[in-house]
Amino acid sequence: MISDSIPSASVAMAASNPKDFAKKKRANRSAKLKQCKLDARREQWLSQVKNKGVCSKEEVNREGSTPGGPMLHLKNERGRPIEKLEIQPRSEEEIYGDGSSTHHYSDSESSLSNSPTSSVLGSNDSGLNFTGSSSSSSSGQSSISSSSINGCCSGNTSEEDEGDAGDDGCLDDWEVMADALAATDNKQKQHSPNSEFCSSLSEKHENAAELGSQLDATNQPFSGIGLLNANPESGGMTKQGGALNRCAWRPDDAYRPQSLPNLSKQYSFPLSSEKHFGQRGPVWGSKNLGPIPTTCPICFEDLDDTDSVFLPCLCGFRLCLFCHKRILEEDGRCPGCRKPYEFDPVEREATLDGGSLTIKLARSCSMMERS
Amino acid sequence: MVDFARVQKELQECNRDFEVSGIKVIPTSEANLAHLLGTIPGPSATPYEGGTFNIDITLPHGYPFEPPKMQFATKVWHPNISSQSGAICLDILKDQWSPALTLKTALLSVQALLSAPQPDDPQDAVVAQQYLRDYQTFVSTARYWTESFAMVSSLGVEEKVQKLVEMGFPEASVRNALESVGGDENLALEKLCSC
Repeated sequence: MISDSIPSASVAMAASNPKDFAKKKRANRSAKLKQCKLDARREQWLSQVKNKGVCSKEEVNREGSTPGGPMLHLKNERGRPIEKLEIQPRSEEEIYGDGSSTHHYSDSESSLSNSPTSSVLGSNDSGLNFTGSSSSSSSGQSSISSSSINGCCSGNTSEEDEGDAGDDGCLDDWEVMADALAATDNKQKQHSPNSEFCSSLSEKHENAAELGSQLDATNQPFSGIGLLNANPESGGMTKQGGALNRCAWRPDDAYRPQSLPNLSKQYSFPLSSEKHFGQRGPVWGSKNLGPIPTTCPICFEDLDDTDSVFLPCLCGFRLCLFCHKRILEEDGRCPGCRKPYEFDPVEREATLDGGSLTIKLARSCSMMERS
Repeated sequence: MVDFARVQKELQECNRDFEVSGIKVIPTSEANLAHLLGTIPGPSATPYEGGTFNIDITLPHGYPFEPPKMQFATKVWHPNISSQSGAICLDILKDQWSPALTLKTALLSVQALLSAPQPDDPQDAVVAQQYLRDYQTFVSTARYWTESFAMVSSLGVEEKVQKLVEMGFPEASVRNALESVGGDENLALEKLCSC
């Protein structure tokens, strides 16, 4: 396997797409970020890799027959993990050893759509893994963590190759996801130096990549993340990661993609709208309807919660549901304005703005239908 | 079925500010809240000033979703009130009734009707003709009726009883008749005569 992996790695380098140059910058940036915490996480990765290394081996065996540049590249990575398990210590210098290694690193990431994701996660190990694999292709050095990740990735690709021609689409999706996640990783680095979190995150992403690619080549990256929880391998780590993953970008995150909607605004909007409605309800009532009576003006019984929000007529005359029903059965006119109650819910909703109001009206309308 | 809970509360509400509005509603009998007697003062600056007008109120089964039946128990000379039966021509007591209205607001409307006759939509054609053709005569007639029929109730109950007993009716039946008509001696006299 090792021998195969080395030649395949060279092939992968050659096969890397020219498109990927645009992504090199990204990869380099993420790589720097990743390097800072490589050492601290290495040991954790080692333990994790052991578990996944087995899987990766099996996958590699399967893939041996699959053709294609990216496939070869993946093979290289897979092969490496196994090798790398043995090579524990790895320094930043090794990774960046020479310009070519860096270049390879970028190429490998570009060739593997998944790699950007991992690199993004990057502060986390997944990024390191890919970096390591790429660099290893040139320098022969590899990281254990990369092996574990590669195993996962290879599994994905192998399955896809075997049964699905939609790899490219899937890869593209993951590239997008990787870009989006890069910002998150950076932020997480700053805020949470905990290596476990990062590692868990990277694992999850890997798992997500697997699941996503297996299930659907066009799956959204986030849906893939959602699937992480279902992955038995991720175990308890996944849960933590899942919670973190949902945090996504913070509004003040420097690397947050501009194309993303401003979550803070989104969250603030409903809140503000609630406030708005809250303020507006009383205002509305005071201007047009007057204070909400505590008793039904018809039967003089106390209005319960349902009755107090029941507004059957635009004139604002409130009454209890019982009296309203009674009136609909006979007169059908609002006691407050003597105009007949409107029966067309669509018309009412059109004339009124405000969700809560329409809901109330809908209920009253349903009553009318009953009666 | 009449909503007696509402009627009870209406009576309490109405009689609470009797000093301000001068409008009073009392049940003719404790047992039957569907039959009430309303009392309104004659509005000032009208021929009806100083008079106290009794209005016989009968609550239909659908009250308050149906308007209460009201008619003057006290004789009134007014274009929109029958001089014979006391029937009132008022829209809110017919098609313009609203469940949001109460006995007190209805009586207030009747009181307003006294101060603002509508001869174009008469209940009593004779009075309406007089109102349109000879307003002074109308005013004097209305004033006379007020003094004759609407101010009698200012007498105390015992005085009314005394007066009727002097007419030859037994005191027990006089008291019953007065009580049943809300103290109006003219109505009591009619009732005693009809018995």
